[in-house]
Amino acid sequence: MRERSMYKSPLHIVIMESSRIIYEGLQAIICQSELGCRTSRIETLEELSVMLGTTKVDILIANQLQFVNREKEIRKIRKAHPTLSVAGIESGIMQKQSVLTDTSFTLYDSAEHIIHTLEKLERKNQSPALLNNESDSLTKREIEVLTGLVNGMLNKEIADALNISIHTVVRHRKNITVKTGIRSQSGLTIYAISKKIVEIEDIEI
Amino acid sequence: MRMADLIDANPNLLLMLQHFNIDFRVSDQTVMQLCGSQDISENLFVSIANLYNGFGAKGHQPFTRKDMLQVIEFLKRSHNYYRWDKYPQISSYIRQLQEDHAEKELRLLEKFFNEYFTEVLDHLDYEDNVAFPYFITLLDREKRAEEGELYSSKEYSEHHTDIELKLQDLKNLLLKYVKIDGDLDLRRKLFFALYELEYDLYIHSLIEESILIPSGVSIERAQHV
Repeated sequence: MRERSMYKSPLHIVIMESSRIIYEGLQAIICQSELGCRTSRIETLEELSVMLGTTKVDILIANQLQFVNREKEIRKIRKAHPTLSVAGIESGIMQKQSVLTDTSFTLYDSAEHIIHTLEKLERKNQSPALLNNESDSLTKREIEVLTGLVNGMLNKEIADALNISIHTVVRHRKNITVKTGIRSQSGLTIYAISKKIVEIEDIEI
Repeated sequence: MRMADLIDANPNLLLMLQHFNIDFRVSDQTVMQLCGSQDISENLFVSIANLYNGFGAKGHQPFTRKDMLQVIEFLKRSHNYYRWDKYPQISSYIRQLQEDHAEKELRLLEKFFNEYFTEVLDHLDYEDNVAFPYFITLLDREKRAEEGELYSSKEYSEHHTDIELKLQDLKNLLLKYVKIDGDLDLRRKLFFALYELEYDLYIHSLIEESILIPSGVSIERAQHV
C-alpha cells in the first residue's frame, strides 16, 4: 500500500453519508489505516457528478439508502466513470446486496474488515489498467497448449496429453497467436519465459 | 519534378536510388532527366517510386524485357542491403543488448534472431541463385521453356512469406513482452533498424508481387500458347 503513494496519486475515497457520526467514524478508520488515501465528504449524487467532472474518484462509499429510486443515475455515472468502485454501507434494512455496488459492509463490521473490503476494491480498481496490459492474457487451456508447444510437443501429443481433439489444439494455437501477436514457435518460447509461464531452465538453449 | 525535391519529401527514396545504383548527388535533374541519364524507363522508375511513396503500382504500362532485367538487378542489390547492412546492424545491436543485460530471455532472443538471420540468408541465396536466374531465362527468348518445367513464377510467390512474420514476432517481443531495464539509446537504434528493414522488405515484396511476378506469369503464358 505504501508503495502506491510513491508513484501514484493517493487513493481518493469519497463518502456519501448524511449522518455525521457515521462519516466521521469511517473517516477515522480509513485515516488510521495504511490505505494512504484522502477522503472527501459529499451528501448527494449531484455533488458526486460535479466532483467527478473535476477530480478522479477511486472509491465511493455510500449509504445504500441513498440509492433508492436513483438506479438510472447511478448506472449512468458508473458507465461514464468505469474506474470508480462503489462500496455500500448496509444499514441492515436492505438485506440483499445491491447490484449497484461492488461490495458492501455493515455498521457493525470491525475496522479491519472494512479496511480489508476497501483494499480489495482498490486492487480491483487497478485491474482495468492491468487488463489493458494483458489483453494478451491467455486462458488456462491456452497456457497448457502453449506449455506443450514450447516443450516441443506435436499437436497430436498435446491433444493426447490434454485429452482434447487435434482440432481443438489447432484452435487454441490460433487464439494464442491472435492474442500474443507472436507466430513462430521460437518467438512463443520467449513469450512464455517473459510471462513466466515456463522456466528458462526448462528450455534447452 | 526535381529528384532532389522528391527526396526531401521522402528520404526513403535514397534507398531506392541505391537499389537502382544511382548516385545520391542528383543535382537539379528532373525525374525524366535522371531516368534518361541512367537509361531506366520512366515507367519503371515511377512505378517503384510510387511504391516507396505509398501508392499502388496500378495503372502502369506493361514492362519491357529491359525493365524486368533492371528490376531483377534492383532486387539483387536490395538483397545485398539486407545481407551486408541491415541484418548485421541489427545483429550487432542484439549482441550488445545481450552482453549488457543479465536477463536470460535475451540469450534466447539472440538465438531467435540468429536462426532467423540464417533463414533469411538461405532465402536470399535461393532467390539469387534459383528464382532470378529462372526469370532471366524466361526473359531470354532464345533459350525458352525446358527449365520452365522445374520452376514457375507461382512457386516463387509462395516461397517468400516467413521473413516478414518473424520480423513481426521480434518487434512484438521487444515492444510487448521482453523486459529490459534502461539502455534506451541502444534499444531505440535497434527499433529504428528493425523498422527500416521492415519498410524496405515490404516494398521489396510489393515489387515482386506487383511487377516481377505478374510480368513473369504473362511471359510464361505467352510462351505456352
